[in-house]
Amino acid sequence: MTSQPWFAARRELAPNRRLTLAIMSFVLPLLVWCLVSYVPFIWHPMVEVSDPGAVSYFKPGMLVEREVFDREREKVRGEGAALPAGEPANPVYLPAPHQVARAMFTAFTTEPQRRNEKWLHESLGDSITVIALGFLISSLIGVPLGILAGTYDAVSRLNEPFIEFFRYLPAPAFGALAVAVLGIHEAPKIAIIFIGTFFQQVLVVSNTTRKIDPSLLEAAMTLGAKRLNLLFRVVIPGIITDLYKDLRILLGWAWTYLIVAEMIGTSSGITWFITQQARYKNFENVYAAIIMIGIIGLSTDLVLAWLGRRIFPWQRASAA
Amino acid sequence: MKISVRRMFGALAGAMLLGASALASAEPLKIGYSDWPGWVAWEVAIEKQWFKEAGVEVKFEWFDYVASMDAFAAGQLDAVTMTNGDALVTGATGAKSVMIIINDYSNGNDMIVGAPGVESIADLKGRKVGVEIGFVDHLLLLNGLAKAGLTEADVELVNVPTNETPQVLASGDVAAIGAWQPNSGMALKLVAGSSPIYTSADEPGLIYDVLAVSPESLSARRDEWRKVVDVWYRVVDYILDPETHADAVRIMASRVGVSPAEYESFINGTRILTLDEAKQFFVKGEGFGSLYGSSKIVDEFNLANDVYKDAQDVDAYIDGSLTNAR
Repeated sequence: MTSQPWFAARRELAPNRRLTLAIMSFVLPLLVWCLVSYVPFIWHPMVEVSDPGAVSYFKPGMLVEREVFDREREKVRGEGAALPAGEPANPVYLPAPHQVARAMFTAFTTEPQRRNEKWLHESLGDSITVIALGFLISSLIGVPLGILAGTYDAVSRLNEPFIEFFRYLPAPAFGALAVAVLGIHEAPKIAIIFIGTFFQQVLVVSNTTRKIDPSLLEAAMTLGAKRLNLLFRVVIPGIITDLYKDLRILLGWAWTYLIVAEMIGTSSGITWFITQQARYKNFENVYAAIIMIGIIGLSTDLVLAWLGRRIFPWQRASAA
Repeated sequence: MKISVRRMFGALAGAMLLGASALASAEPLKIGYSDWPGWVAWEVAIEKQWFKEAGVEVKFEWFDYVASMDAFAAGQLDAVTMTNGDALVTGATGAKSVMIIINDYSNGNDMIVGAPGVESIADLKGRKVGVEIGFVDHLLLLNGLAKAGLTEADVELVNVPTNETPQVLASGDVAAIGAWQPNSGMALKLVAGSSPIYTSADEPGLIYDVLAVSPESLSARRDEWRKVVDVWYRVVDYILDPETHADAVRIMASRVGVSPAEYESFINGTRILTLDEAKQFFVKGEGFGSLYGSSKIVDEFNLANDVYKDAQDVDAYIDGSLTNAR
């Protein structure tokens, strides 16, 4: 085992090595971020003013480009007035890891100050509800339709040309329309998630259905299976594991529409938090919120993968 | 396929309609509001539950500014907070409204921010200016240019969404940007050495911020709107009274998620109008000292810039009677 090479084409590494690398894939970017944030010589193109000196527009805490700071300092030096002082700093859009970590914590622990305001976890809950409903409605129609289209050419011909056309229409383009038809609250947001997911879903599912081994169908028909039997006893069991994987990927797809969907109608959910904090340049909160979305997405997927291994134990050998 | 999408929409819409009709007897007035100090002020009344005390049911919906006008235009709201100029634009494109409250006029929050070294509007001659074309700060820019003896032809306009103006100024590609708070303040913060070279304080009355109500709702539920006007002046008193000012600022700041100290500066650039002041601006007249005159100027600006094609009947957009009756 110790002599196993790290790079062998299409050969799986030992489990402990795989785990190490998986952890490293998170640690490395974090390390780069720490280096850029905490080691002043690497980047730090700005100066955070600590003492404005005689420069009229400097204020303590203000971020100034290094050249500007130097130029102003020379100007003041020439006049013999008080010199400004400051520390090297990064631009406002690159907060340090600890600032983001703190923002993440305080965002959850900050009590709402007004009667009708929500806690952050409640806003996140709203966002998750929108995603879940949009994806559920899409799946309720899209999965059966995709299976039928993948099984019967007539269903495919009748639907897929139009779906191919429709999937190119960007979901956000329907924003104003969705508000006019469905009102200003959750319904138009759910509709945007639906439009963003559904058309891809039908095509992906029908494609997966088509990949079923034809010899399975032939064998079943030889044994006398008829239409519904064929569909429910052969086709669906035959694709169910791949279908499950498709749905996991499509759920991730649905998440990418969240921000667009929540821009429509009333401000709500995690998007409200992100846009509002960005408007006031509280970027550590913006990063915190983006990371939260990532964590929720990844952990949902891990849970689903684990569930998948329970539900379809025969797939364990080849499960991804 | 088309059918199942439609069916889904139908089912959703049907469910909503059912829900709506069940509530129809006690349907509250729906008002869309957004991030501008003169409108965030409504938060005080919401937080203090003054509408309930006044005996009127109002549901305030928080929006992005442009999204709020879209929702009003789509008929989803009874009223929306906007500027007098945007009321004309929204009206010209389909959703007429009537301005019944003047919340404030912009008194410095709207700014033309010059890059370092740009000291006055006159310095902009022959240079690029980033502004959201057709919006209020485009108007502010033209107003400033005219005073400096320049016209729009003397500068090169770059169309920039208002919330991106700070980054655009920081990029160094333009000599100035036009924006309102918090964007204008952020531009000043982001670009060291930049300064406001012309602001709405230089032309008070150029931009009025109002509550614009759909004519149908105003006609059908005039009594309820009268109560809304009453609540508004309770809010104004609460903000202007030194005793309660801090509490009002705290409530307003929490709505947009900044510290009260930071929010105080935005309120300072917004002249929240007392009842007596507002009554003055509801008097017909020429020029910026009257909502009629100001709106007439905006109308001409909109026509000149092809924002819309037909001149708007400004008088039909303004109804000061509820304010004047107080």
